[in-house]
Amino acid sequence: MVHLGGTPVLRGVNLEVSCGERVALLGPSGAGKTTLLRVINGVIVPRSGSVEVQDTNLRKLDQGALRQLRSRIGFVHQDHSLVANLRVLHNVVAGRLGQRSFWSSLRDIVRTSKADLLEVHRILERVGIGDKLYQRTDSLSGGQQQRVALARALFQQPKMLLADEPVASVDPTRSRDLLNLMTELAAEEGWTLVVSIHDLELAREFFPRVVGLRNGEVYFDGPAEDLTPQMVTELYSMDSTSSTGGEQDG
Amino acid sequence: MAKPLPLAPRLPTRRVRILTGIFLAAVIAFFGLGLSLGELIPRDSGFQLVLEFFSASVQPAFTYQNSEGLPSDISPFLFKVGRGLWTTLTYAVAAMSLSLIGGMVLGLFASASFWERRHPAWATFRWTVRVLIAAMRSVHELLLALVFLATLGITPGAAVLAIAIPYSGTLAKVFSEMLDESPREAADALSYLGAKPLQVFLIGRFPRALPDIAAYSFYRLECAVRSSAVMGFFGFTTIGLYLRQSFENLHYREVWTYLYALIVVVLILEVWSAHLRRRFVA
Repeated sequence: MVHLGGTPVLRGVNLEVSCGERVALLGPSGAGKTTLLRVINGVIVPRSGSVEVQDTNLRKLDQGALRQLRSRIGFVHQDHSLVANLRVLHNVVAGRLGQRSFWSSLRDIVRTSKADLLEVHRILERVGIGDKLYQRTDSLSGGQQQRVALARALFQQPKMLLADEPVASVDPTRSRDLLNLMTELAAEEGWTLVVSIHDLELAREFFPRVVGLRNGEVYFDGPAEDLTPQMVTELYSMDSTSSTGGEQDG
Repeated sequence: MAKPLPLAPRLPTRRVRILTGIFLAAVIAFFGLGLSLGELIPRDSGFQLVLEFFSASVQPAFTYQNSEGLPSDISPFLFKVGRGLWTTLTYAVAAMSLSLIGGMVLGLFASASFWERRHPAWATFRWTVRVLIAAMRSVHELLLALVFLATLGITPGAAVLAIAIPYSGTLAKVFSEMLDESPREAADALSYLGAKPLQVFLIGRFPRALPDIAAYSFYRLECAVRSSAVMGFFGFTTIGLYLRQSFENLHYREVWTYLYALIVVVLILEVWSAHLRRRFVA
């Protein structure tokens, strides 16, 4: 069970995600999608219950070991997750902060090594914005910035990628391209992919497995095609007990 | 049927109280000092002086206003102005360099964002630093100059230290606030990738505050030029020394040359900082 500010946000969630699986978390705002993602990468520790990631119980890890684990989990946020006034190059290089010592990470920023530079450029080419290498990040569009966030995750070389509403701030025609790219990369790199999303169509199109959350509980868990229109209405129906005051976003 | 309006907040009374308080404070200060508007009009001799002083403003001196009794091998007046400006600038730059180091180090320690994701016990240290920088700010550089003059004599170090101490305190306070007000989302994202607190702060947070920090530092450099000029009144060889001497000799045209020189320096700094700010923002 997970509490935020005294209100339970997640209750009795029992989920198992296998390596390489692609899962969409679906549900209305305040259903607990963001919280669940934060529980998976150990930013939030549940008051009761257990979380195991890559065969380790997060509860048994100290701060250092948790950071170690996080450095192997990519995280793409809805927006504002990049340092706006740094160059694209430096934001991507920051992907390995968790694996570098303080001094070497500072050197990476001030004077990126030739090898890293080439690798970052290759990655940016892969996500389609190779020419933006030296641009200031805030000069890019929302969709391009999400590609930078993906590039940062690629440079990080994680085993798993979590994404919290990655296309909510991207213009609708571009969100399909972005999700396409994200799932392609997941397949190439063998990432486990867990993505929270509120657009049902996109979830159905890109994710073999959909987990519907409602009031902090798992309402549906199964293949996307098993989700009936009636279940969807139910999932999004307003409920007088859904007072999840503790959470800022879904 | 229309619903009744919700109750309006009773804010105005509080706002009125504050404004009345400010007004009363002003009135008390005026009467306490026995100020009257009549005093602001100069009397006969004073009036003459004002007239002379301001009429000199349109004809600043380019040579000594009165060369009688001056040694024949004395350097030209404009050289003297240049020398005074140069010394003023070197004092200001030396003081600001020290203040930037002091202000940055203390400012980091005084900011809340620097100690995020660290043991809560560090809060005590942070508050100690905040008290220290408050103490540094509370004594004006002119008072400190008096103290250092007495202990060190008229050495450049005395003036530079006198400026650097309160300036470090002010920079530290403002830097720490700028750091704490900078956007935090990117820093959070870095901690999600396993970055350590110092990396999170220096790479995720600090760069966002840097343009503001740079702009404010330029403004303080301008202030340092003024402070360093005034140090001349105590005998340090900045432009203030020459300015005071010319003023006491009633050489108002020379006074205006010094004043214009100072204005030019401030304007140059302004143009330079505006240029840098554009580069930071673009």
